[in-house]
Amino acid sequence: MKYLLLFTFFILGCFSAWAQTDAIKREVVGRDIGQLKGIRISGRIIDEITGQAMVGATVRIPELDLTRITDNNGSFELVVDRAEYTLEFRYVGYETKIYPITAVGDGRLSIRMLQEDFTLDDVVIYGSDPEKNIRSTNMGAVTLSVNTMREMPPFLGEVDIVRSLATLPGVSQVGEASSGLNVRGGGVDQNLIQFAGAPIYNPSHMFGLFTAFNPDMVNDVTLYKAVVPARFGGRSSAILDILPKAGSIDKWGGEMMLSNYSGKVSLNGPLIKNKVSILGGFRISYINWLLESLSNPTLNNSNANFYDGNLIINAPISDKNEFTYSYYTSYDDFAFASDTTISWQNQAHSLIWKSKLSDKLSLEANGFYTLYDYGIFNRSGINDFEINSDIKDMGGRAHLNYALSESNKITIGGEYKQVSIQPGELIPTGVEEDILPKKVQNEAGREMGAHFQHELEFGEKIGLSYGLRYDLYQYLGPRAVRSYQAGKPVSDGSAIAETSYADGELIQTYDGLAPRASFRYSFNKASSIKLGYNKMYQFIHLISNTATIAPSDVWKLSDGFIKPQIADQLSLGFYNNFKGNIFETSVEVYYKDLQNVVEYKDGANLILQNHLETELIPAQGQSFGAEFYVKKNLGRLTGWVSYTYSRSLRRVITPFEEENINNGKWYASNFDKPHDLTLIGNYKVSTNTSISGTFAYSTGRPITFPDAKFDFSGNNLAYFNNRNQQRLPDFHRLDFSVNFKLKGTGKFYDGNWTFSILNVYGRKNPFSIFFDDSPGQPPQALRLALLGIPLPSLSYAIKF
Amino acid sequence: MLRRLIYIFFLIPFSCIDPYQVDVPEGEQLLTVEGIISTGPGPHAITLTRSATYGSVFEGLIRPVSQATVVVRDNEGNVTFLTEGTEAKGTYFTPANFQAIVGRSYTLQILTVEGKVYTSTPERVESVPAISSLQVRTVTIPSNGSEAPRSGVQLIAEVNDPADQDNFYYWRNGPAVYILETRPDLFTPRPTPQNPNRTPQPKPCCIQCFRTEISNNQSLFVVNDDNFNGLAARIPASFIEDNGLRFVNKFRMDLKQYSISQGAFRFLRLVKQQAEISGSIFDPPPATIRGNMISLDNPDEVVLGYFMAGAETTRRIYIDKNDLTFTQNRAIIPDDCREVFGATTDPPADWNP
Repeated sequence: MKYLLLFTFFILGCFSAWAQTDAIKREVVGRDIGQLKGIRISGRIIDEITGQAMVGATVRIPELDLTRITDNNGSFELVVDRAEYTLEFRYVGYETKIYPITAVGDGRLSIRMLQEDFTLDDVVIYGSDPEKNIRSTNMGAVTLSVNTMREMPPFLGEVDIVRSLATLPGVSQVGEASSGLNVRGGGVDQNLIQFAGAPIYNPSHMFGLFTAFNPDMVNDVTLYKAVVPARFGGRSSAILDILPKAGSIDKWGGEMMLSNYSGKVSLNGPLIKNKVSILGGFRISYINWLLESLSNPTLNNSNANFYDGNLIINAPISDKNEFTYSYYTSYDDFAFASDTTISWQNQAHSLIWKSKLSDKLSLEANGFYTLYDYGIFNRSGINDFEINSDIKDMGGRAHLNYALSESNKITIGGEYKQVSIQPGELIPTGVEEDILPKKVQNEAGREMGAHFQHELEFGEKIGLSYGLRYDLYQYLGPRAVRSYQAGKPVSDGSAIAETSYADGELIQTYDGLAPRASFRYSFNKASSIKLGYNKMYQFIHLISNTATIAPSDVWKLSDGFIKPQIADQLSLGFYNNFKGNIFETSVEVYYKDLQNVVEYKDGANLILQNHLETELIPAQGQSFGAEFYVKKNLGRLTGWVSYTYSRSLRRVITPFEEENINNGKWYASNFDKPHDLTLIGNYKVSTNTSISGTFAYSTGRPITFPDAKFDFSGNNLAYFNNRNQQRLPDFHRLDFSVNFKLKGTGKFYDGNWTFSILNVYGRKNPFSIFFDDSPGQPPQALRLALLGIPLPSLSYAIKF
Repeated sequence: MLRRLIYIFFLIPFSCIDPYQVDVPEGEQLLTVEGIISTGPGPHAITLTRSATYGSVFEGLIRPVSQATVVVRDNEGNVTFLTEGTEAKGTYFTPANFQAIVGRSYTLQILTVEGKVYTSTPERVESVPAISSLQVRTVTIPSNGSEAPRSGVQLIAEVNDPADQDNFYYWRNGPAVYILETRPDLFTPRPTPQNPNRTPQPKPCCIQCFRTEISNNQSLFVVNDDNFNGLAARIPASFIEDNGLRFVNKFRMDLKQYSISQGAFRFLRLVKQQAEISGSIFDPPPATIRGNMISLDNPDEVVLGYFMAGAETTRRIYIDKNDLTFTQNRAIIPDDCREVFGATTDPPADWNP
């Protein structure tokens, strides 16, 4: 009881401390790149119902006493300074729309007006062009703004970036507590996740129950899953580019949120007015505090902590130059009823410089330093030890954009990164010296890239974008490298010699050309067809024998034995918008070929393994699929339906019979889920209340069932033969949330209440099925379900 | 209710594990071999069984393989025939005077009644260092659903690991003897029409007996010396569960330590890994446990299990009830202690606590 009271007190304490907020919803227009003057806001006004352009409607900014009339196309354009405005749209017989905005960058509005007999309270604003999906030549790039994510049911009390992306077609997750994303049949390590340009190795808290990025610190997230622009490389599946928000250069403000799992606070404002802004945020969970207060010994012995913090300093020092510094950190530790604690921490610094050298030429440069640090601590009292590992990335990149014209743009640039990995060091921490310290050899490598991209349009109909990237990778000493007897499987037994390489000495070099191309043909303004080809190289591999990113995992650089992964992807898509962009639809098909994917020998021993090549086998991969997407952009009911049919397959062919997996036949990868359906809907009940729901269905992931049981040493054991031949039961889950804004009822209560239920009908979706012989019951299959019950959460957020 | 609410509302450990009905493919009847021959006193046993369908007790009965011809051959050409036990079908024993010799390699050969021939790859016997001491450590295991945790004794073996070789250790519990205490004063026969009395009718004799038992370790204790090569290492080598009877007075056990081959170690490590799968999200995926037996008739035929050969060393330990820091509540047997299986009033000849 006292905890509930404490909790309530906590909330009430906050009520009185913070107050006051805007009475009307104010939209931010444009992408904030620090532009102060000459912001162009263009737009088009159409009839909500018919989709007809509204010719001769008036657009007025009372603050500037500026009035414009829409042209024959219903379009208008306003040039304003960076400020807040209240736009008014009028037309005879139609309801007047009052639309407050904060203009921070060039943007496009799509305004829909209703005849007076209709009453629907909504306009939708696109951060960029509403027809971007049709008109842009780029394929498979999806940008989700945090505002869009806020419309979806929150996961455990708040917006979750990774989970939001997993609702898109072609993107999935292994299970309910899985870090990372599987994009078009690729593994979680095949995605480059970068925050403000710095790579992040573990994007999750509590093994994926929460995403380790605080959504209040994020402006938007772009996922490139088909054709990746040539300036990105180094991973074979997808790029997840997370861009931080900037603080206000005008006035101080902040946000605060409490949920039953975590709390967060952020503050932003001008360090130097109109020149330099700062944004800081911190989020922490109090699960641990709750665990400790319980009497159950299992739970009492458990702990789970996490926090993350951001500091973003943005300096739009002139119209031409802008600097952004971002620091990001996240921390987790976890022990469940045991003496073994696992912990991990991300830290990332990055500095971005954007410069407009002339009207046509602009520069973007970025330097970063990332440290991912993880460990296992055993304090059982006997043979105490800790195992520490870390990865450091340091590098920089720069590219120039040159716009010959609006329809002819060139990007050229280069990238350099050095990676050093400490794969594991065992340090005895007990009083008595009964275990030896052990250190796995450090690894070092360099990745370099040069790229070029040319985008051009031939009239309205045809667009072409092609690029080329050259990747060069070097694997460096110091290191002792084994050589193995030819004609025998690589194993401890077949090692014949060891060669020593000096610090910085070149051990292995790989390079390759990665062409990218996409072509668009538009049938009309609302429909187009696109074709794309993409090649990517990956020089770092996640060596994991579990289904999730765990701190016991090892990241391994490509060396003489483990070759870089190479992905070739071909995609074709058809895009069509209906009813003046109210509905957005797309169909995409793809085929992807993967080489040198890492697979594991049976019973591979990966922890503290100095010679990982003895435990791994190269595999081929292929994936293909068709993705269907229908999105409703506006109205009271918004949302989308996405359906994907896809396969992700692996094949291992080795000259050695004992190493073959499934007799060299194609088999399903761990994350092969042929049918994947997501329905998301958000319904605005009134101006301050909305409800949303998500339904997800997918085929169960593949698992391995035993071929037989046998008896050894008193244990009934399962004999497994072929991998991944059976499947878990289908996965389906419904989440639901209600969002309620208390507005103008009194300053203490202004804010956002969100109540959500995860897994509404309590489906026990198995994360795994395993086979166990424990005393008192026959050897049998058991199901591990991570969310077996409907899980409610409540959060309260305020802005000040 | 409120507590339940707190659990539901605030806690992350909402995962649950329950039995699940799956359609497991019909199991193959694969020959399974288990056994170790060692430098210790014989007889040594090799057990042959056939695998069955996983999942059901009734469908999947593991059957012994009887009437096979089983021989052990060493690299110097000596052949030892094993004879099937009369009581234990499917278990084949070496002659009592058979002992493996360090430095030799042994091969197991089997001819089944169906006329199929199987052989193991050679297993070389490496020397094993002695157990220099044994220590007792009380461990408690929190168990779900009950207030009292399970508990028991962990034996920690100290071994002076030789620095000049790769060592693979495997421990097995030998025979144990303990003082059993019962309550003959509480003896109450089942009420009958002749004697409807429910009050205790004390038996005149025998509170204390010596009970012998062969307890098998549920979990496997195997280790390689990667982490302690050349050191005097302390390694958990056995676990004896406290069942409320064993540790009420004195308990004695012989712990056997074997040196095994790298292949056998790899095999046992996989068995251990599978036996310890707990259903957490970090469980490794199932691995094929490949042994060292092959069919000479059909190279593609899968033979399960492992034939091991190793050197053996034994150390005896007496455990007093006061060595335990936590004990289970004493189990009460209201009868003459001689009525319990395996118990006698006389101590073993070498009982010397």
